[in-house]
Amino acid sequence: MAGKAGTTPTTYSPSPTTKKTKAPLFKDDDVDWVRPDGRGFPQCRPAFFRSGAVNAASGSAYAEFGNTKVIVSVFGPRESKKAMMYSDVGRLNCNVSYTTFATPTRGQGSDHKEFTAMLHKALEGAIMMETFPKTTVDVFALVLESGGSDLPVVISCASLALADAGIMMYDLVAAVSVSCLGKNLVIDPILEEENCQDGSLMITCMPSRYEITQLTVTGDWSTPKINEGMQLCLDACAKLAKIMRSCLKAATDSQE
Amino acid sequence: MGFPNASGDLSSEMEVDAFRRLFPLQFHERHLAESIRPDGRPFGRARDTSIALGAVASANGSALVKIGSTTMLAAIKMEVMTPLLESPDEGCIAIDFHMPPICSPIVRPGRPAEAAPVVSKQLSDTIASSGMIDLKELSLVSGKAAWMAYLDIYCLNADGALFDTALLSAVAALSHLQIPAVSLNDDGKVVLMSEEDGEMVAKEPVNKEKRKLTLKSIPFSLTCLLHKNYILADPTAEEESVMETLVTIVLDSSSQLISLYKPGGSVLAYTSAIQDCVALTRQRVKELQSVLDEANSAMEVE
Amino acid sequence: MVGLSLGEKHFIQGGIAQDLRCDGRKRLTYRPIYVETGIIPQANGSARVRMGATDVIASVKAELGRPSSLHPDKGKVSIHIDCSPTAEPSFEGRGGEELSSELSVALQLCLLGGKSGAGSGIDLRSLVVVEGKVCWDLYIDGLVVSSDGNLLDCLGAAIKAALSNTGIPRVQVTADPSSDEQPEVDISDEEFLQLDTSGIPVIVTLTKVGRHYIVDATGEEESQMSSAVSISVNRQGHICGITKRGGAGLDPSIILDMISVAKHVSEQLINKLDSEIAAAEAEEES
Repeated sequence: MAGKAGTTPTTYSPSPTTKKTKAPLFKDDDVDWVRPDGRGFPQCRPAFFRSGAVNAASGSAYAEFGNTKVIVSVFGPRESKKAMMYSDVGRLNCNVSYTTFATPTRGQGSDHKEFTAMLHKALEGAIMMETFPKTTVDVFALVLESGGSDLPVVISCASLALADAGIMMYDLVAAVSVSCLGKNLVIDPILEEENCQDGSLMITCMPSRYEITQLTVTGDWSTPKINEGMQLCLDACAKLAKIMRSCLKAATDSQE
Repeated sequence: MGFPNASGDLSSEMEVDAFRRLFPLQFHERHLAESIRPDGRPFGRARDTSIALGAVASANGSALVKIGSTTMLAAIKMEVMTPLLESPDEGCIAIDFHMPPICSPIVRPGRPAEAAPVVSKQLSDTIASSGMIDLKELSLVSGKAAWMAYLDIYCLNADGALFDTALLSAVAALSHLQIPAVSLNDDGKVVLMSEEDGEMVAKEPVNKEKRKLTLKSIPFSLTCLLHKNYILADPTAEEESVMETLVTIVLDSSSQLISLYKPGGSVLAYTSAIQDCVALTRQRVKELQSVLDEANSAMEVE
Repeated sequence: MVGLSLGEKHFIQGGIAQDLRCDGRKRLTYRPIYVETGIIPQANGSARVRMGATDVIASVKAELGRPSSLHPDKGKVSIHIDCSPTAEPSFEGRGGEELSSELSVALQLCLLGGKSGAGSGIDLRSLVVVEGKVCWDLYIDGLVVSSDGNLLDCLGAAIKAALSNTGIPRVQVTADPSSDEQPEVDISDEEFLQLDTSGIPVIVTLTKVGRHYIVDATGEEESQMSSAVSISVNRQGHICGITKRGGAGLDPSIILDMISVAKHVSEQLINKLDSEIAAAEAEEES
């Protein structure tokens, strides 16, 4: 049985009987449709954070937004790889991977290169690299379950893990995305909504400094819509940062 | 560090943390001499164990298991395959053990941990030889379709006793497994039965009864660490790194020996030591069995 | 990267602050753009674009494929960028890989639109031959031959030019498409369909040096940047994608300001590019 896994036969996951495609989430001219999980358009999923989930790491955090579950470990600052040249500022090394059971259809559980690059870009502006010269800080993220808005959750969770590891930062980094569906902007979209979105906008920012570290937009946006979307995200980021801060406070209080 | 004898004198002058890092062996041996371990456990006691079933919503069966701070997440996804020619009415289980970089400072991306394939193989062997699962239960249509159960175990936090935790999480996930109801469509493909459609009920599900696996003789394991004459049950990662000889014993629920691993190490175990390990494991099996039963009954109440 | 002395750095920064850059340009002026089309005969479409010393080639290859089950009524487009080791010494070996993947992702983000296909420069529905069965897959490959800053804008322009140069063979469906089998198709080698490229956005990268931002930065200027925002804008003035590079944070109001500047600049760029592409096509035919 298991030993024969090397000669893996081709498998498929059984699809639902109903061949009919599911009814679309909303109709084109419909303005008042209801989101699949019953939230309002400008309403985020309840966010849960816990720092210190992995004790083998210098710092770690677990985040849960609805069905999106992410765990991030931070190692270091530790010795850079031997091949690296001398650098008088620190290095940041990121990695994002998915479990094989994260997505509805079984994946390969491989590294997500795109998110890895995005995570790096979102964090590098917030970390005081000059405080750990010649060394590397490793930020590794594992998406246990993907339920939409994975990247923003990974980024927020990673900044919490960095704070837990005691890496010096200018501010916590909070990330939120909005999806554009028809005429509506929905914040913190779930997988179903992301699959039929017309456009998406993700902001990662340092709320206390009111600075955007990373911004990505896809799809078709007019200027007023971008304004609206950015404002929505920035407000949500500020709220998210409050939750993250209170999580860190709770962790230090319980230690004392 | 060339003067191990000097450490004894230094210990009174040094801070505990520094002593622990500089002279780990002496640090541990001093504890052992007092019949206690650094985390306050007596030699034979395993760490607190907890099981949470159904942690992954997108999987057919899943379990989150913690032994001390070693944490593992196991999930099963069921897919359909054409059975192998030599066994037309048997399904298959593919077990994979992953150590992602988050779990330990030793693992780095792109360079898999040495321990992962070892544990993976041990798990497959143990579950196959224990006879816990009857692969015939995974058959759907003889010669045409059978279940392939992908059991993936992710180590989220590695702090010793990896195999014990991995086996427990695998067993727990299997006990939680809910096989989805399926039927054959006109093309001979297996499709899911959706609950809402009234008219589709006319089609008989091909697996009416076999919705849960019957688990016979569940394997449980305990890893013991041998050092001089001491036997330490359920070692932490720190203990494993300082003292190297490990013995892993797998027993089933009726205390029959399924397998025994002693992968080298500097201590040559006497048969009496092995017997002591088996005795410890026998106790541990009872503990684990009750933890698993509790988790399962908690699921039924919900 | 570019090794600059302190004096040179000050010279670049000072010039930008005074709206007079090292090569005599203003902050919002592009270098002259040269476009050649149809340079690779094997490809369905190709183009070479030069801006100063930055030189890139883009090619489009069309192949018949199967649409994904999620979007049976749409074709597929993929973008892949390679950085030739001749472009810069640091690209040698695996050095160019990171930049290549970063550019590929940024271009996919800026040109291919959202998941539902809205905002995409290419109408994916026009690539379908038989719904759910056969569609065209466009493979867009970019090659950086020589690099002197502003790669993303240049690649965006090259892809736009290559797509307007692309001819997709007309396809005749011979077998009955209602059956379960993959329908048989007959690919014409004489008749070609032109893609509608009027909706393809251009990418404008605003590079922030000191307190000002510039377009079309050279390699030397890029080494002095704190951050850069790439904004893709289509003919209607709608934003089709934004990505940001560089670590430094930006105030939201600056980003909004950049967006309005990018919209203004993009109008000129689109017109300039269109006339260049038309001229190049005319030359190729003559």
